[in-house]
Amino acid sequence: MTTAAVVPGLVRELSAIVRSGQVLDNPAQLQSSAVDCITPRVVVSPGSVGEVAALLKFAHDAGLVVVPAGGFTQQHTGSSPERIDIVLRTDRLDAVEHYDPGDLTIGIGAGASLSRVDNIIAPHHQLFPLDAPLPDSSTIGGALATAAHGPLKHGYGGVRDYCTGIRYVTVDGKFAKAGARVVKNVAGYDMMKLLIGSWGTIGVIVGASFKLFPRPRQTRTFLCGYSSLADALKLRDAILQSPLSPMCVELLSPHARVLLSAEKEELQPVWWILVRAAGSDTLLARYRAELDGAVTGEIVGEAESLAWRRIADFPEAAFRRSHNAMVLRVDVPAQSVGPMVGAAERAAVDNNFVCAVVGRIGLGTLLVSFIPVAVDPPAVIQYVNTVSSVRASLSRDGSAVVLRCPVEVKRHISVWGTSPTDLDCMRVIKRAMDPNDILNRGRFVV
Amino acid sequence: MPPSAFLRQLRKIVGPDAVLSSAEDVMLYEFDAGLSTGTPGAVVFPETTQQVSEIVRAANRFDVSIVPRGAGTGLSGGSISRDEGVVLVFTRMNRILELDIPNQRAVVQPGVINLELSQAVAKYGLYFAPDPSSQRACTIGGNVAENCGGPHTLAYGVTVNHVTGLEVVLPDGRVAQLGGKANDGCGYDLTGLFVGTEGTLAIVTAITVRLSRVAEAVETLLAIFNTTDDAANTVTALTAEGITPAALEMLDGQTLRCVEEATHAGYPMDSGAVLLIELEGLREAVTEQAGAVRAVCTRNNAREIRRARNAQERLLLWKGRKEAFASLGRLAPAYYTQDGVVPRTKIASVLRFIDSVSRKYGLQIGNIFHAGDGNLHPCILFDMRDPGQVHRTHEAGREILQHCVDVGGTITGEHGVGMEKNELMPMLFSDDDLAVMQRVRDAFNPKSLLNPHKLFPMPRSCRETNVLARPGARV
Repeated sequence: MTTAAVVPGLVRELSAIVRSGQVLDNPAQLQSSAVDCITPRVVVSPGSVGEVAALLKFAHDAGLVVVPAGGFTQQHTGSSPERIDIVLRTDRLDAVEHYDPGDLTIGIGAGASLSRVDNIIAPHHQLFPLDAPLPDSSTIGGALATAAHGPLKHGYGGVRDYCTGIRYVTVDGKFAKAGARVVKNVAGYDMMKLLIGSWGTIGVIVGASFKLFPRPRQTRTFLCGYSSLADALKLRDAILQSPLSPMCVELLSPHARVLLSAEKEELQPVWWILVRAAGSDTLLARYRAELDGAVTGEIVGEAESLAWRRIADFPEAAFRRSHNAMVLRVDVPAQSVGPMVGAAERAAVDNNFVCAVVGRIGLGTLLVSFIPVAVDPPAVIQYVNTVSSVRASLSRDGSAVVLRCPVEVKRHISVWGTSPTDLDCMRVIKRAMDPNDILNRGRFVV
Repeated sequence: MPPSAFLRQLRKIVGPDAVLSSAEDVMLYEFDAGLSTGTPGAVVFPETTQQVSEIVRAANRFDVSIVPRGAGTGLSGGSISRDEGVVLVFTRMNRILELDIPNQRAVVQPGVINLELSQAVAKYGLYFAPDPSSQRACTIGGNVAENCGGPHTLAYGVTVNHVTGLEVVLPDGRVAQLGGKANDGCGYDLTGLFVGTEGTLAIVTAITVRLSRVAEAVETLLAIFNTTDDAANTVTALTAEGITPAALEMLDGQTLRCVEEATHAGYPMDSGAVLLIELEGLREAVTEQAGAVRAVCTRNNAREIRRARNAQERLLLWKGRKEAFASLGRLAPAYYTQDGVVPRTKIASVLRFIDSVSRKYGLQIGNIFHAGDGNLHPCILFDMRDPGQVHRTHEAGREILQHCVDVGGTITGEHGVGMEKNELMPMLFSDDDLAVMQRVRDAFNPKSLLNPHKLFPMPRSCRETNVLARPGARV
């Protein structure tokens, strides 16, 4: 662990670069921007794209380690950094670049929060389907960098599917864009795909354009409860093979339900599948009919919105329950969900955790949390064994990333695990885009 | 002409019957479905990933460029060799390697024909969503290279939205796997990055695609208008109303008369424009949406709205659309199709602009396009025997694309850049934008061994060799 060293030289130089923004170096501010207990030497909020470019070029030339940051909601993910020189906050880059309600497109600065986008487009009855955790703090730039998502990913795709353009700054100070404002474009390389999910290691995202969707006039959530995961998965398969096209198909494991609802443990464990549909009464009746007897309840209105907000915020709920919780994001082909969850449940029992699972079960994207049973913090080996067991259940196509765990555990596991994508190819890109390795050094898989 | 030692090496790798090098044999591979041409030094037909890898290694040793090619249906010269390199044709790598129905995935070789994949999985109620007009001929490898779209892109997205994994041969001959069957995974989304790079980063040798479920109900409507303005305003109104058809296509009066004469699809000869509107989904949803669509069309002065009563009528309406370009051949010996995209709120004004360009240059321009996503296909008719017309066609095309960019759009929505629009990239991108993309290209393809002189503007010193966008060079 390092403490903040007072570096007046660095602050002075950065202040000369970042004139319209802020350069912060008081200990309290630095402490609140620490990543895995590593405190930055300085926190900078550039006021313009030009300042971001100048700052990055300066850091690149000086070999200073930069951590790009938005709302600081996902900084706990990643391997622990060895050192951080500059935390580069995008909070001041939050201007609306374009909004054309008639075209259902918006372009906005990276520092804008997800809620802000929603507030802008809601009066026009439009929907930005990025329902990632903590929308009031989570920013556009952060959500893109981390490929954040929520339950709506089932029906609307991931952010890679509706981000149509991106503006970013490279370490050598180039302000570059890719894509376009319009909904369809194949001119040039799709740098959006490269930057989305790159965890701030390729360049600093300063703005993006998105395709928007009509906001459904009416939605309904059907609750379907089962005594076993296998039965719940049968319903999932039936939905996937049906003509239904729900907005969300979400799995809640018995413990996940307890965690989210703060209700008591049910006597019989229930695996829930929540199906959210949009449309007229006639259409909703059709859903009810197709789900045929599986529906044990329906939620609507504010209760429905609240339930989905809670599900989207699930990783936070796990962490609030115990700061020693571990949360994994697991991506597998849809049919591999069963074996993976089975392995996770067994690993939890073996290592004295409670396993709670929530996820986009139709896509095979799940959040698996392990909450310690005992009051005393678990030993590192319990985490290590748990992660190993989950990863051992995956095929080559699957991956399990530790989104959150106690800092000391990170020294003993690979936070990222193996990737289905060739590591050398990823390294080629990283070297080309950040040759001095200044962006999030040591934190990503590459 | 590549060195004979290299040709011998190629024959050793793939066998003598899989290499063409005589002038009359390679001539067939000089062109694609667009206007660009270039004579390959040799044409080779690999059958395995291993062979592709060995060919790439050999090409490296002899410094011969490689251009991957599927069915040659591209419209931007992506599969044409500009420097007498080797054209690598994938027609013999046309096997579906795996159908994973429970996971709704297929793993295919690049030479599999787009429509054949959909036919192979039809019995499971599945299909491959990207549906370019050339889908009876074009290959999935080509779809991946160009990130192709089609009429149903509006609702289901372009190729990249349906690809989850790639096996590639890198320019050094190494075989690498990117992604797989899962929707997402840890690490950079190189699958997403590589799709649409037009063969400039790597050669794709296997593709994992997502299969979509065939909709329960389809409703195809033909809305007939007296003016293109009314039709264009209907598109904006439908978007604003939150109605998302599966496809929303527009044909202007001139085009539809031509199409009608050729296909007898039932388009009214005296109308100003028609919209072909397809709705898909649950029966109940389709019925409701059809009602909403009718209301919007009527409000925007549709003079008549017809409905395909059965599959046969539906196919006929689509036949008119899919064969529209070919029908224009009745009006002029050649045509040059643009692929600009504009915000959907700008369609009416851009169509008026195109009309003014048509008058300014004295050239007929037909409009048949994907109105729902603002992807225009102005089709400039000309006679390539008249050098003056050829020149004017080029100028008119350029002016239209510049206008698309000026109103917030782009120069290509689905046809790709290739060698046709590479010099137009600066309309859309700054030097820095392009420099960073080229940095990615150079990281993988430093010698520009794969598909050289494509996608990016050529360095000034090479421009004289650039035969780009000389419409009419061949049709």
